[in-house]
Amino acid sequence: MSGGYRQQPGGAGGGVRKDGKRVAGKLRFTPPGAGGSRPVSDPRNLDGIPESVGGNEPQPAGHHVHDRLRTGTTVGQATALVDANAKITGQAWYGDDVRLPNEIIGRILRSPHHYARIRSIDTSAAEAMPGVLAVATGEDAPKTFGVLPVTKDEHAMAVEKVRHVGDLVACVAAVDEATAMEALGAIVVDYEELDPEFDPRKGLEDVDEPIHWRGKYHVGRTNVQKRVHQAFGDRSNIENAAASSRRAWRFEGVHHGFTEPHAVVAHWDANGRLQLYTPQQVPHYTHRALATVLDVPMHQINVIRTFVGGGFGGKSDPFPHEMCAAILARKSGRPVRITFDREEVYWINRGRHPSYIEVKLDADEDGRVAGLDVDALIDGGAFASFGHVTSYYNGVLATAPYELGSFHYTGARVWTNKPASGAMRGHGAVNTRCAVEVGLDDIAEQLAVDPIDLRLANLLPPHSRTISGFRITSNGMREALRRVREESGWDQKFRNMPLGKGIGIGCGFFISGSGLPIHWDPNRFPHATVHIQVDMDGGVTVHTGAADIGQGSTTAVAQVVSEVLALPLDMIHVRSHESDTSPVDLGSYSSRVTFMNCNAAIRAAMEIRESLLNAAWDMLGYHPTTLVMVDRRIVYKHDPSVGVSYLQALHKAQEDKGALIARGAYRSPPMGGVHKGAAAGLAPAYSFSAYVAEVDVDVETGLVKCTRVWAAHDCGKALNPLAVEGQIIGSCHMGLGQVLSERMTYGRTGHLQNANLLQYQIPSVHEMPHVTPIIVESSDPEGPFGAKEAGEGPLLPILPAVCNAVYDAIGVRPSSLPLSPDVVWGDIQKRMKSEGVEDPLDLESPRLTHGPLQEKLASRAEEHYGRDHARQRTEDTSPYVNGVLFGFDPTRPIDEQLEGWAAIDDPDPESMAEMGYAGRAWLKQEQRHMEGDD
Amino acid sequence: MVGEARVPMLPHAPKTVWKADVNDRAVAVLAPSNAVLLDVLRDNVGQLGVKRGCDLGTCGCCAVLVDGQPRLSCMTLAGDVEGCAITTVEGLADGHHLAPIQTCFAEHGGSQCGFCTPGFLISAQALLVQTSSPTLAEVNEAIEGNLCRCTGFQPIVESVMAAAALLRGEGEAPEPPTHPHADPHPSGPDEPQLPPGHAR
Amino acid sequence: MLTPPFVLHRPKSVEEACAIAAHLASEGRPFDWVAGGTDLLPNYKWHLNPKGDVISLAHVDGADALASDRIGCMARLHDVATSEVVHPLLAAAAAKVASSLIRRSATIGGNLCLDTRCFWYNQSEDWRRSIEWCHKADCGTGADCRVIPNQNTLCVATYQGDMAAAFMALGAEVELVGPNGERRMPLEDFFELDGMKKNVLQPGEFLLSVHLSEDATSRVGAYHKLRVRETWDFPEAGIAASWIPGDAGSLRVASTGLESIPGLHADLVDAHEDWTEKEGRKRLSKALQKAIKPVNNTVLPPRYRRSMVSVLASRALRAIMQED
Ligand SMILES: Cc1cc2nc3c(=O)[nH]c(=O)nc-3n(C[C@H](O)[C@H](O)[C@H](O)COP(=O)(O)OP(=O)(O)OC[C@H]3O[C@@H](n4cnc5c(N)ncnc54)[C@H](O)[C@@H]3O)c2cc1C
Ligand code: SF4
Ligand code: FES
Ligand code: FES
Repeated sequence: MSGGYRQQPGGAGGGVRKDGKRVAGKLRFTPPGAGGSRPVSDPRNLDGIPESVGGNEPQPAGHHVHDRLRTGTTVGQATALVDANAKITGQAWYGDDVRLPNEIIGRILRSPHHYARIRSIDTSAAEAMPGVLAVATGEDAPKTFGVLPVTKDEHAMAVEKVRHVGDLVACVAAVDEATAMEALGAIVVDYEELDPEFDPRKGLEDVDEPIHWRGKYHVGRTNVQKRVHQAFGDRSNIENAAASSRRAWRFEGVHHGFTEPHAVVAHWDANGRLQLYTPQQVPHYTHRALATVLDVPMHQINVIRTFVGGGFGGKSDPFPHEMCAAILARKSGRPVRITFDREEVYWINRGRHPSYIEVKLDADEDGRVAGLDVDALIDGGAFASFGHVTSYYNGVLATAPYELGSFHYTGARVWTNKPASGAMRGHGAVNTRCAVEVGLDDIAEQLAVDPIDLRLANLLPPHSRTISGFRITSNGMREALRRVREESGWDQKFRNMPLGKGIGIGCGFFISGSGLPIHWDPNRFPHATVHIQVDMDGGVTVHTGAADIGQGSTTAVAQVVSEVLALPLDMIHVRSHESDTSPVDLGSYSSRVTFMNCNAAIRAAMEIRESLLNAAWDMLGYHPTTLVMVDRRIVYKHDPSVGVSYLQALHKAQEDKGALIARGAYRSPPMGGVHKGAAAGLAPAYSFSAYVAEVDVDVETGLVKCTRVWAAHDCGKALNPLAVEGQIIGSCHMGLGQVLSERMTYGRTGHLQNANLLQYQIPSVHEMPHVTPIIVESSDPEGPFGAKEAGEGPLLPILPAVCNAVYDAIGVRPSSLPLSPDVVWGDIQKRMKSEGVEDPLDLESPRLTHGPLQEKLASRAEEHYGRDHARQRTEDTSPYVNGVLFGFDPTRPIDEQLEGWAAIDDPDPESMAEMGYAGRAWLKQEQRHMEGDD
Repeated sequence: MVGEARVPMLPHAPKTVWKADVNDRAVAVLAPSNAVLLDVLRDNVGQLGVKRGCDLGTCGCCAVLVDGQPRLSCMTLAGDVEGCAITTVEGLADGHHLAPIQTCFAEHGGSQCGFCTPGFLISAQALLVQTSSPTLAEVNEAIEGNLCRCTGFQPIVESVMAAAALLRGEGEAPEPPTHPHADPHPSGPDEPQLPPGHAR
Repeated sequence: MLTPPFVLHRPKSVEEACAIAAHLASEGRPFDWVAGGTDLLPNYKWHLNPKGDVISLAHVDGADALASDRIGCMARLHDVATSEVVHPLLAAAAAKVASSLIRRSATIGGNLCLDTRCFWYNQSEDWRRSIEWCHKADCGTGADCRVIPNQNTLCVATYQGDMAAAFMALGAEVELVGPNGERRMPLEDFFELDGMKKNVLQPGEFLLSVHLSEDATSRVGAYHKLRVRETWDFPEAGIAASWIPGDAGSLRVASTGLESIPGLHADLVDAHEDWTEKEGRKRLSKALQKAIKPVNNTVLPPRYRRSMVSVLASRALRAIMQED
């Protein structure tokens, strides 16, 4: 027998053959009793132990509360994913790889209409077909669900109305796929077509048949699902603006484009419990939704998360097809597997909202950002999904990293008859960020200053508060900007390159976990909980509900536990697939996993550590404060030859009790303001990033090629630099897709024209620039070992960096994405016309001569550098709020100091309507405020 | 009124015995005449390591080696490759030995969610069999038919380059992917035997 | 995605292939040829005009011949792209087709006989049902064309094969075989201006090989392809040009990816003998742009694709003069 990968217990150890192949098998596991694979433990790795506790690891950003838990085992070291072996040998099991005995195949009947009322569905012919085991329709599951409890507007299958082409109408389970497809054809549906709407701008108008009806909260008879208004600061600051930039943007919708299509397997076991296998980022919400829709208690459902072939937000809603599989399995009594075609993946969508965003920036004569006005109209498609939150994020996540004189936001999300938009990597922040950063570039140009200096002179410092009341803790923005400037050779290149070559800057700011959970019940329930169990064999089993979607969260959890307990990684076993065994975790969204789950894991590991130290105290007579954990040993600090092995201490601790069991939980601290929507955008920490991108533009064809990217991201502390760099480079790729070629194209008839990976153009390896990832570590005081997020924030800056580089290259400033060649070519043609140039090769690229303000900004930036350094290291702990740059005293409430400074005016519909499309949503009244009309 | 015409999917096409060598193992399964290799490999032969990302030639997740040539199994009629030697990701390891390309993917972050990995491994392996000193352009060309949404390709290219270096006998063999400190087995030739729990 | 059921036939020789074709015809069973399957399989998975029988040319003896003067229909594009013997223009064009993985399967014959493409058409059955079909695959409804409405007689789907332009620029001829014997014709006569019929192949006939004359070997050529990504993407526009260096009158220019068939622009070229001069080149490029009228059924808008014709043409012309 040869071929195939096998474990090889008992083989010769550790060998690497001369031909480079390595003997697998024996390496991976630790024989019981030895407390590790090797009788000799490693000496303490001082390079992995921070300065503050006597090691060699430098801490430019100051010390951290978790420093004393560091043992130099794995944290901060490039670590291969702990599940990598499954992935490289083909053993990783994704949704469609779950094959249960006796399985049957489910297929879904989808709406051919954009918008229609269902008069009747006749499934009798389908049911009568040989080989068909179950047929279900909306009637089988009338209860609504949705990821947010405030907007549950989805059904397993359409009830009453279908709302977009591809909406689920019925489903069939049969012995094979062909039979199931044939049966779908035998289902007769009688539709009454309704007038569909595809343009979100028209969604603001009253219509006969709004896509959903929200009762007394419905805004007029429009298709507005959610509208938001926020205003802070002093509007009078913008009256004497020295420079202002107003741009109306159009962003096309984009899709996550994960490689694994959705797939689900449902099986009701012999005890009548549902076992549901699904590649979910957020198994817990699916769990809740299943319980509601199927009308069974949660404890009768076991949600098993398979390996997830990419998520990026697109696998974080509870999905109707998950309900369908469960319903079909219940009806047929057989396991049912449903796997999507790529086209169906686009129909379920949840990608980034197509948006109309208008951003207005004003700067005063000191180069301060006196005003930032954002108006965002976002196209939600047919369902709410995460949209309630997205509506806020499109504005509020623009309130940092710059200090603002005033901030005004109007946002609206409307329903249209298109597949639902939802959360996608960089949720809600990406498009507005792009518009803001391009606006700043414009401002810098008008003020004749360097755009990096403009940014450096306007940054909020660490440990401060934004204009909307977000609590900023660690902040590596300044370092990120300084490093990309230096490494990219910015000062030599900017406004200095030949026509067609350009360089641009962009920054980013993102939440590291959302401060509030989506569900309120049960009250004060932790966001993340981790259980650790250590039995007599010494192996450590970690139970967590955190969903590894390829970002390496399982590895991160294993790493922190291994770090605290000073055990090699192969002694840590993470169990995270089943809701039966894993404690509730809210899931992989909002970049919350590392921050929350690792904090919970550290707490649980600390408990185990304490038991071990106490046992060692018993045995050695030295108090725990004088003991240190070394690789599989606990030794006396001042004489490392005195100590006990890990197993000795463990067995001592287990006397009379058995396995050590510990639990750790994380809930974010209370924070934030009291205004409406204050909770949106609150996070226990924020990440910051700055990118410089270089582009080549073919001035004759308009083709843009990004050639180099320097990407600095502040992730607090890189627990696993390999994973952080992977996230940065991967984010660049995804962001590049949105800025250069990706778009969900809806044709003139409202049909999604490119529901496939050929015409939905994700950049290939050839379009990928060389990326230099730069990790900035600002050591967050509340993050696990100082860590913050690295999964979403790094996507933000690439879009504006490329847009600004395109301007540097050819002097046209984009106002829509993607920058597909036809669009860029069109812009170039316009510029040629306006300048009377015949040949695009004769165009001139923009140049910069510094104005008088440059000097001033540079020196302010230098001053702030010292300020920020002291604050970051908590050498300066004075309060700081947005507004200090404008002359306020942070120790007194701002609104007491200046009349003009206010939080939230009462919305005045007329003035809001001037803001842009979304502002116009306020011209209508909610039903409850309307007279006699329902 | 929306057209109701449907292309009939039944009756099934006639089935015949399909034979091939899959990962050095002779297999014979009953497959319909219109079967696509990907379906046969996954559903009949049971090689679930071969992934279906798009079924339309645009992602490369389904790549396998057919007589040593990398081919998209979703774009290949099973009948056309009858009797061929087919290697899937499961067959890259040689018995107990992972191929260098496999370990390098783990070590260099070439695999994140892992769904694209089987396809990339196949494309890369096909290249490395041809040359152990590929240029960057050659690596790019070899993997241009594979889509990865997680890694941004750069770590994948690095993995391939590292594996090539290994094959040339340059560079250190990477550490085992799940273990940052490779521990020689306790009964290794020059390790002292100590009773459990009595380290040093 | 399942293809509808069909029976796969695997002839081992040209004669056997013709015999199977004749037999199927006599039984009134419609069928398709399949070569590499990289175009046919997606179409079948989308349920686009599937047939109950499919004859694979993959095992036809000698069909994969690869020589400087003759390329068999089963020659794989990967082999063409890496071949030392074929004309460099063909190798270069082949290297730009689809992706390296697809090129391992894709063939010359399949590329030339490629089905025309349109975003109203290259979609799943469910998708097309939602637009109530279109003329090219109307499911018996007599549906209209979605690109040029109010006429249900003409399909203007776009031919997006890369190789045709390169072959035409070299003056290639194609050899067809079928139940009624063999015939040979210049490649430009092979295509028929009809998005549905596409070419002159008669029922039961297939393209056996492509022939290149002596003249082709002495030609210097270039192929410029407009696409957003350097892999996967079909040509949104493609211009191939070649000449025998020094002989301005020998210029041949062909375009693809722009209309329902690829085109050889002999008349325009003849009218611009001064193309070796900068101004003449400009005029010829503009004239080509004027002559070609793409429609809106591919990824990029037709106005833009049309404008790119002159850019690609002048680049190709500059390239064959080896000016840059
Ligand atoms: C993702 C993707 C990207 C692509 N990108 C490109 C691209 O950039 N440029 C490009 O040109 N093509 C592209 N293609 C299309 C296709 O891969 C190539 O054109 C390929 O050369 C077709 O060859 P084949 O052998 O696979 O054709 P097949 O699929 O086998 O056949 C194609 C058609 O031709 C007919 N046929 C095949 N051989 C013969 C013959 N000898 N005689 C008569 N009829 C015959 C078949 O009946 C069928 O209708 C792409 C395909 C995919 C899936
Ligand atoms: S051009 Fe018209 S008839 Fe032809 S495929 Fe497109 S829509 Fe159909
Ligand atoms: S599944 Fe074959 S290329 Fe995507
Ligand atoms: S690792 Fe996820 S798609 Fe490549």
